[in-house]
Amino acid sequence: MKTFEEKWTAWLDDQLSGSELSEFEASLPDKAAARAEKGEAKKLGQLLKRELSAHPLNNEEFFSHQLRERIVRESSEQRSERGRRSPAPHWWTIPRMLWTGTASLAVFLVCMALVMHQERPAEESQYLTQILNARVDPVVSPNASVSMFEVKQDRVTVLWTEGLQSLPADYAAK
Amino acid sequence: MQTEATLAQSDVSELDLVKRCQDGDTGAFDELVTRYRTRVFGMIYNMVHSEQDAWDLAQDSFLKAWKSIGRFRGQSSFYTWIYRIVMNVTIDWMRKKKIKGGDAEFDDAIQVREIDPASKTVPKTEALPHQAMERGEIRVRIEKAIGQLSPEHRAVILMKEIDDMQYHEIAEALGCSIGTVMSRLFYARKKLQSLLKDVYENI
Repeated sequence: MKTFEEKWTAWLDDQLSGSELSEFEASLPDKAAARAEKGEAKKLGQLLKRELSAHPLNNEEFFSHQLRERIVRESSEQRSERGRRSPAPHWWTIPRMLWTGTASLAVFLVCMALVMHQERPAEESQYLTQILNARVDPVVSPNASVSMFEVKQDRVTVLWTEGLQSLPADYAAK
Repeated sequence: MQTEATLAQSDVSELDLVKRCQDGDTGAFDELVTRYRTRVFGMIYNMVHSEQDAWDLAQDSFLKAWKSIGRFRGQSSFYTWIYRIVMNVTIDWMRKKKIKGGDAEFDDAIQVREIDPASKTVPKTEALPHQAMERGEIRVRIEKAIGQLSPEHRAVILMKEIDDMQYHEIAEALGCSIGTVMSRLFYARKKLQSLLKDVYENI
């Protein structure tokens, strides 16, 4: 349902037709006054169109030039803004995490192997075993003594023998 | 406004230009600006009555259009779409600048009581002879009268009377119903008729 204002506006702009037009005109209390009003509205429209429609835009080319520059400036600002917000957007993807995990595990295993290898206690030299297992004959070498010095940190073992009359030939072979 | 043939031709090329703009072609946008810059500037000037402000607002409107051209789906004409941006930018600016319709805000509810819709708005009064008025004076009178309308009423009457836009186009541009457009047009005309009666009667 149109209001009176809507019907009046449509009537002024010749947008009513058929039964709507006849019904509206029949509802007007003073048709002559209404038609005069319509004429005044038309004159107002003509006045506005004549006086306001031709306001020129001076320096049209400068207008476009200035706009182009603003577009370029704002576009570059937007690009740099986006760059600042997301410096490395794809770093922690799932494949990258898998690779990182695998590499970390490999490095860990290598380090563990090295550490365990370093911490393994120094094996006794066969030479020492040979001497310790050999019984020093107190008859042949009554003053024989064997001393061992070991520096684990430097993995050095010094075997100090004294008073041996002779060294068995198979010792030298070891 | 335009004949159907020219409208169809311009619509085809206009859509093409819009698509190129959406692909980032600033040259295509430049072409659209060239087509509408004078009308857009003229419309804004009639709203704000300041060349400098109209220039700046027209620039802002076109820049906003460029930024949001990707969202233009072609459901309305580009002309209506750009007018919507222009009106949003201009009316927002006017509200911020407190440019209002004189001392009294143009309120439809108040005006219903103040203006008898069937009353004559052109009483027989002694008017200045049109010939005696300078063209500039007429323009100043019109601008002052329009200045007493709210931004929304200004927009409606200017789009209707200056740009010959249809009710539905105005409604799209302002984001309101056709009924609201017609109602605003009614009160804007009444107000201007009462303020400019001596001017147009002597045309």
